Amino acid sequence: MGPTTDTPIGEIEAFSIGKMHIVQAGGFEIGVVRHDDNSFHAIRNRCPHKGAPLCQGSFGGTMLPSAPSELHYGLEQTVVRCPWHGYEFDLATGQGLFSNENMRVRTFPVTVRDGIAYLTGLPTQARQRGEAA
Amino acid sequence: MSTTLNEQSRPAEQQLDIIDCDVHPVIRGGMRTLYDYMPTAWSKRFQAKSTELVSVAPLTLRFQHPNGSALRQDVHAPDGGPAGSDPAQVRQHLMVENGIGCALLNCLQPGALAAALSGPEESAVLCTASNDFFLDQWHLTGSGPLRLAMSVPVQDPEAAAAEIKRLGSNPAIAAISLPLLNILMGNRYYHPIYAAAQEYALPILVHVTGADCIYQGAPVAAGGWPENYNERYVDLSQIGEANLVSLVFSGVLERFPGLKIMFVEYGFAWAVPLLWRMDRTWRSLRHETPWVLKSPFDYVRDRIRFTTQPLDEPERRAELEQLIAMLGPELLLYSSDYPHWDNDMPGETLRTLPAETRRMIFADNAKKILRL
Repeated sequence: MGPTTDTPIGEIEAFSIGKMHIVQAGGFEIGVVRHDDNSFHAIRNRCPHKGAPLCQGSFGGTMLPSAPSELHYGLEQTVVRCPWHGYEFDLATGQGLFSNENMRVRTFPVTVRDGIAYLTGLPTQARQRGEAA
Repeated sequence: MSTTLNEQSRPAEQQLDIIDCDVHPVIRGGMRTLYDYMPTAWSKRFQAKSTELVSVAPLTLRFQHPNGSALRQDVHAPDGGPAGSDPAQVRQHLMVENGIGCALLNCLQPGALAAALSGPEESAVLCTASNDFFLDQWHLTGSGPLRLAMSVPVQDPEAAAAEIKRLGSNPAIAAISLPLLNILMGNRYYHPIYAAAQEYALPILVHVTGADCIYQGAPVAAGGWPENYNERYVDLSQIGEANLVSLVFSGVLERFPGLKIMFVEYGFAWAVPLLWRMDRTWRSLRHETPWVLKSPFDYVRDRIRFTTQPLDEPERRAELEQLIAMLGPELLLYSSDYPHWDNDMPGETLRTLPAETRRMIFADNAKKILRL
């Protein structure tokens, strides 16, 4: 893997808490969520199933595995659900949820310094290509 | 009696000790025979109604068998009665001559009555009488080569559960023949029956009853009413498909973790694409039915079996064998459907499969689901 860099994506106040925001960085479209403790998660906006813009689906919780006829809602602020076929992924790990398929979406660490959020771990060359595009 | 099967029978079949999961006995003497197995008041009622115990549900002209009868024309009981009515003949003609060591008796007469032809109270009496008739007159003890798939009066699920409890400990009973209504199997209507089946470790066997697509209350085919026997015959697999989907997505297999189901005579070639679609749907929209805790494939592997007859016959036989490999030979149970016209005799069935696969389908798989 080539050199990487921190890429600023904006002031943290620009990200409303608990909402999915889509940014362009490092040649990727990336969904970014700011939590109420000002921590962030970032996940690539591409579903590994059929290439859909994953982060333009719903973001929230889901129904947990339950006994027949019961519903239990949970995992609030955790589940990214694809707008096409409904596949669910863990925002923090990118891992597919409740599936017999071992699908995973790329995630990116986010750091905050002086009120600015940075995506880390993006490859420099990819970032440059992305900026040129 | 034909001797053709004698000539085709091969020594290798004797080695397999075949288990036949679908044999249709007929109550010799019809309704009068059952009078001895029911309270007098009920025999008076059936006498007053001039009730006949037909060997196959009246199919109406539209669905009447094109050759006149669904029974094999080459087989008659020694006393001139219908094929399947003489236990000694069934044992010799079907079993000894074809290397079948164990046969599961599934009488369709009470099935059709229970599904549609009789009222709920009548069917409870008739199912009990039929079960007792076979245990008695066919000398079923649990130690011989014959086992009974007991009939249950499905129009009254509590009565059906009571019948299971009455006979469930009898070692001659190896399965419960559940005549389906036009209510899918995942529906809570059937819960009392499933609870009793689970309690006695008996699999539920579902099979067309003859009432399907004809009588109100019985299952129907999708899209409309078939116009002749051929259309209906092919469409009957739809009932199996719809019920398999219902079993999986309803969560009833989670609600009754000991419940096992045998789909008999609905075919199995449809199961692979149906499972693909169920699995894909589950992966996408699991959250609507979050009680489906694992892939539909896993439920079917663990809990569902399909019988082989009527075996499809693609032009290239290898394609059928490929389909069996895709589904998994561990899911299949040999069935003859004797003495019906479309029966599959073992010597002519899946004979080119590898020996180990044949052993699974013809013997070993059945031992794991029937209560033998």
